[in-house]
Amino acid sequence: MYGKGLRPLSIATVVTLAAALYLVFFYAPLDADQGFIQKIFYLHVPLAITALVGFVVGGVFAIAHLRSGDRRWDAYSYVSIHMSVIFGVAVLITGSIWAKASWGHWWVWDEPTLVSFLIVFLLYATYYPFRYAIEDPERQARYASVFAVTAGAFVPLNFLAVRMAQSLVHPRVFATANGGLPNSMLLTFLASLVAIALLWVTLVKFELTAKSASGQVKRLRRALDAPAPGPRSRVAPEVG
Amino acid sequence: MPALPLDEAGKYVAGAYIVFLVLIVIYVAIMAAKLQRIEKELRELARFAESRATSDQAAPGRGSGTPSISDSLASHGSRGGGA
Amino acid sequence: MTPSRAAFAAILAKDLRSELRTLQSLPAMALFAVTAFVIFRFGLDRTSLSGSLAAGVLWATLLFAAVLGINRLFVAEREEGGFDAIRLAPIDRTALFAAKGTALLVYLLALELIAVPVFALFFLGSVSALPPLVTVLLLADLGLAATGTLISSMAVNSRARDLLVPLVLLPLVVPLMIAATGATDPLLAVGGPTYNRFGAWLAVLGLYDLIFLLVGYAVFDFLLED
Repeated sequence: MYGKGLRPLSIATVVTLAAALYLVFFYAPLDADQGFIQKIFYLHVPLAITALVGFVVGGVFAIAHLRSGDRRWDAYSYVSIHMSVIFGVAVLITGSIWAKASWGHWWVWDEPTLVSFLIVFLLYATYYPFRYAIEDPERQARYASVFAVTAGAFVPLNFLAVRMAQSLVHPRVFATANGGLPNSMLLTFLASLVAIALLWVTLVKFELTAKSASGQVKRLRRALDAPAPGPRSRVAPEVG
Repeated sequence: MPALPLDEAGKYVAGAYIVFLVLIVIYVAIMAAKLQRIEKELRELARFAESRATSDQAAPGRGSGTPSISDSLASHGSRGGGA
Repeated sequence: MTPSRAAFAAILAKDLRSELRTLQSLPAMALFAVTAFVIFRFGLDRTSLSGSLAAGVLWATLLFAAVLGINRLFVAEREEGGFDAIRLAPIDRTALFAAKGTALLVYLLALELIAVPVFALFFLGSVSALPPLVTVLLLADLGLAATGTLISSMAVNSRARDLLVPLVLLPLVVPLMIAATGATDPLLAVGGPTYNRFGAWLAVLGLYDLIFLLVGYAVFDFLLED
């Protein structure tokens, strides 16, 4: 029962999001260097961290799927990756807006974290065409899990390599919210992180519930021997 | 790095948060479409099951006169029960 | 010799023999690389290259040529039932991964044996950079072979096989390319090879190789299940 607990979770998400927004705009002090622009980070960085953790979580679910053969793990893996890709779009767009505000360009190659994230995003974007090119559902699930594990291993390596590729002339431009921040900013950042992470979990649960409902409809259809609906365009992972 | 004046910077910050909001709304819209499809299929299946029940048992079914949404307002006693 | 090792040797020998006899992938890869160099000469409007530009042209070309070979790596297995044979045999299935990976490594080395001297001929002033370049090539080829074999085996059973390999492989080898070009760039400097962070880049290449060899070893079995 995936829908169970969805309501309290959503309420918690809304509350923490509202609290975080309040903190960002009414409590956190203005950054000395960047001024008001720095407020974008309370959105951009938590989104990035959540997306990356989400990818790794997708890899962990994939390992569980490979070891147990239970296709539910594959559905969890798929939805985790799917949600992280969507969050990834938000990361890249907000990152681009920040770049424009700080540097005057809509994209900069100087920021290693942003570039690393782009590469990770491009990799996970191939998850869909890869997955849907395999017709047999069981094999599709297995291969997708292998992909998720491989890609999960790739993430830290990628960040290392891109960081090293940074020319030593350009020091890191934006400070991660973890180094030497005044407590008020740290608190605001943590609140935002918790809010975004909760949002991710809520949306993943939401998506799984919808998938489960679809699965139950199919099951009902089979039990009733009812005629099948029109042809589906592709075999998506199911939760039954 | 100089800080942009508040009104200029404000546009970018607002833009970023608005993008975030828009993405959430788009996601909700897509899920709404999915939910609609599920509802349609369930309605179809309910009609199919009802027609089969009436033709099998020759007992008068409720027919499709009463909209099934009122079933969901009653407590969980509707045909088929909860999962 | 354990059965797995015997299987490894047998598959590797079969692959190399088959390639030598039919010459399917190697000439195409080498020819593609040389032609790509010509295209770069005109595309960039340069007759000599050095530093980061030279490293970029070399590695991009090698990578795209490698994709040609990687695309074809498991085709014979798929068409002639090699996968079934492996599944039935009482050996460690990873022998297939090891054998195919080694075959791919050999193809890549053969490719570079032709492409790199041609590159030096076309664009470099001297060959003094080539000896240290060999180390970089070896380490990078190992990583490329591991990742390429893994992706190729996943793609071979899908519908859009030829599209999937470049699509999925390219992001995965970005760290490899970063490290390879990072090491090569100072080697191809105008005044002769220099060694800026050479050791660090080799370490990253080694790490990449290790990780993807381990990942390939760990997951390959699951790809062969029916």
